[in-house]
Amino acid sequence: MASAPVTITAAPLGVGDLARIRAERRPRLEARLASLRPERGVVRDVLVCAGGGCVSCRSTTLAAEFERLIAASGLSDRARVVQVGCMGLCEAAPLVLVAPDGVYYPRVDFSLARRIVTEHLAEDAPIGEAELTHERDGEVRRSRDVPFFARQLKIALRNCGVVDPLSLDDYIALDGYQALAHVLLETTPDAVLDTLKRSGLRGRGGAGFPAGLKWQFVREAAGDEKYIICNGDEGDPGAFMDRSILEGDPHSVIEGMAIAGHVVGARRGYVYVRAEYPLAIERLGHAILEARAAGILGARVLGTEAAFDLEIRIGAGAFVCGEETALIASVEGKRGMPRPRPPFPAQAGLWGRPTLINNVETWANVSPIVLRGAAWFAGIGTARSKGTKVFALAGDVRNTGLVEVPMGISLREIVHDIGGGIRSDQPFKAVQAGGPSGGCVPAEAADVPVDYESLQSLGAVMGSGGLIVLHEGTCMVELTRFFLEFLVDESCGKCPPCRIGLRVMLNLVERITKGLAALEDLDTLMGLARHIQRSSLCGLGQTAPNAVISTLEHFRDEWETHIYDRRCPALQCRALLTYEINEALCNGCTLCAKACTSNAITGELKQLHRIDALLCTHCGACVTACNRGAVVAH
Amino acid sequence: MIEPHAAGAATLATPPVAAAAAAAPDAPGVEALVDTFIAAHPGGHERLIPLLHLLQERLGHVPFEAQDVVADRLGLTPIQVFSVLSFYHFFTLTPRGRYPLKVCMGTACFVRHATRLIETIQDTLGIDVGDCTPDRLFSLEQVRCLGACGLAPAVMVGQDVHGNLDTKAMRRLITQLRSQGRREAVAAAKETPRG
Ligand SMILES: Cc1cc2nc3c(=O)[nH]c(=O)nc-3n(C[C@H](O)[C@H](O)[C@H](O)COP(=O)(O)O)c2cc1C
Ligand code: FES
Repeated sequence: MASAPVTITAAPLGVGDLARIRAERRPRLEARLASLRPERGVVRDVLVCAGGGCVSCRSTTLAAEFERLIAASGLSDRARVVQVGCMGLCEAAPLVLVAPDGVYYPRVDFSLARRIVTEHLAEDAPIGEAELTHERDGEVRRSRDVPFFARQLKIALRNCGVVDPLSLDDYIALDGYQALAHVLLETTPDAVLDTLKRSGLRGRGGAGFPAGLKWQFVREAAGDEKYIICNGDEGDPGAFMDRSILEGDPHSVIEGMAIAGHVVGARRGYVYVRAEYPLAIERLGHAILEARAAGILGARVLGTEAAFDLEIRIGAGAFVCGEETALIASVEGKRGMPRPRPPFPAQAGLWGRPTLINNVETWANVSPIVLRGAAWFAGIGTARSKGTKVFALAGDVRNTGLVEVPMGISLREIVHDIGGGIRSDQPFKAVQAGGPSGGCVPAEAADVPVDYESLQSLGAVMGSGGLIVLHEGTCMVELTRFFLEFLVDESCGKCPPCRIGLRVMLNLVERITKGLAALEDLDTLMGLARHIQRSSLCGLGQTAPNAVISTLEHFRDEWETHIYDRRCPALQCRALLTYEINEALCNGCTLCAKACTSNAITGELKQLHRIDALLCTHCGACVTACNRGAVVAH
Repeated sequence: MIEPHAAGAATLATPPVAAAAAAAPDAPGVEALVDTFIAAHPGGHERLIPLLHLLQERLGHVPFEAQDVVADRLGLTPIQVFSVLSFYHFFTLTPRGRYPLKVCMGTACFVRHATRLIETIQDTLGIDVGDCTPDRLFSLEQVRCLGACGLAPAVMVGQDVHGNLDTKAMRRLITQLRSQGRREAVAAAKETPRG
């Protein structure tokens, strides 16, 4: 972790200072969004992605190497290295963008870094063959024009990958804190509320509740002590958009929360971040300190009478803490157990006071709406889902990463055009949308437009925006078992339908994956699912059966094959497989025999090995152990 | 008074690997740690979870003796402290290894065969999920999504995320960490001459 000592020296800023910083710094920031090549002799910014994915591919060391090479080549006055947040294309990590040319370089190693410095920076000659390209039907597209970038529309991610997340000035240069200044000095809370309502912004944390309405409830709630909370728990496995916003553009969340503080009359806010996101905690922490030193947070926000400040609270690894009432209990220092609603947090939330809780991405949408107006935002998207949505693309898709697209675009466009299709030669099977509360959309239905209602009608949900792309090699029964296991593990245990019901469902599904099920088990499963949906206390239990219901609806034949034929077509349910050693590949290394705990494998060193089907317990250890892929499953 | 960023500042001070190295069972006073935190962060019971984070980070686990100190200082009963601690997966009663291997079992990693990584670790190190090797070098945990789904399957060691791992790369990583651990142990032994 790059925890540089924080030295923050800014003096409190007024509105005039914001305008000055913006004027001074804006050209440099705009150059990072440009594609002005070939540009000769300009001062360049080398943007090295320091998003979570790229950092784990050592992009921090890469940035240091660029610094060193630039200094050694005497180019320090012509090129600067900036570490920015997630640029989105995690697949190409570590990713580098050279501005103002707008040239992306994927998978940059030290030797490519050297060439970028000696050729591109020193000689103004971009390296064509190392540039990010995309070819389809004989047409080659480069850098910003590749479909992955060209098809996106960025609002919540507007600054991610562009600004230095540790630089307040960078944020201000791209209109940062201008919306807050406007709200504090030039308009009324009611007018802001009206804008937000007309914009049609809905919560991005899962349920899609209209943000303006929620703000209004809190504004109208009685009491002078109120709180603002940012939900950055992001427990949905497969989602990493909130992480990227907190890591790449923390000020956008701070600004949204500060605006809300003024509108609803709260002086204090909390950002709840998962413990699994140390980098997000660090960068957000830095941004809060910087904002405070600049007088953007604190007793006199931007020199006005308004007071607002923020604290970080770190989660401790409990999925259910993403649920708003559980999250509030956790901030209070208790077990993160949900409680029945009403009363909703807007009436009685943190310490019993009216509390406004929104998701990270929701907060990041607030200041653009305030600045550009309700009509602009409402002009994007579908009739009932306005604006854009950030999706995390993962699984068996070629371009894994983060994308922001207008609502209403089809799932197929996201997977095929932006995501580049399936990464192996297996056919596209389904998209799992919305995590454990969501469901699977089969490939045939992938033309569905993504908005809250359409996804719901297919048994999936928008959720937080995790999209896991699946190919034919994924067993839907095993996937369902995985989700149920997750949910049983994460159920807080307060209400019996969720605590006991889910466990019974898991037992049934496990029987199916082991080939021990009876025909009527599917009906029992559906019956349980309906009961648990209706009678659980919180959203976790109420949505948990979705995993079963949606795969049963779209992939019933696969379930039936497991039950009737005791066969797993995707070759994933181990108990239903038989193993065999491929004679042509086995070199008699004995690894499989050593790995076998039931002595089912025999064979001499350097001789062909054999598996005794009667002794085999189907554990699959031999498959993992073999270095040559000689153990095959049927 | 607003005490900003309390938890963040407290838990970020020491990277966990260094902390684990310092985490002898009788490491410098749990009481001192707790008292310093309490003095710096006035407030009520909401300080419980940040305090548990601090102890987990510094000690590598939160043993019952440490829980008693926390209970005493916050005016809670020991069972109240334990009930909160046991609710959250992040806190452990037994020490983690110097290199805690957190294998992601989130959806993206699951569909890209994270189970095989767990099996590889179990085979290579002979430990189960939740256990620690006898030399306290490695421990194995399952976590739910590291937010590195683009690099699935992913494993977090300390605060470093390793992505796109297959069973071979996983074995290599273990070998590499083992020799790194050995080197560091030798260096540490040189620094503090015994006797
Ligand atoms: C089991 C469960 C988990 C949830 N996890 C999250 C989460 O990780 N992040 C999030 O923002 N909302 C999560 N929610 C939704 C929150 O309860 C709440 O609706 C949301 O934070 C409100 O913000 P929004 O209106 O901006 O979406 C979860 C809900 C449930 C029932
Ligand atoms: S599912 Fe493993 S990092 Fe997200």
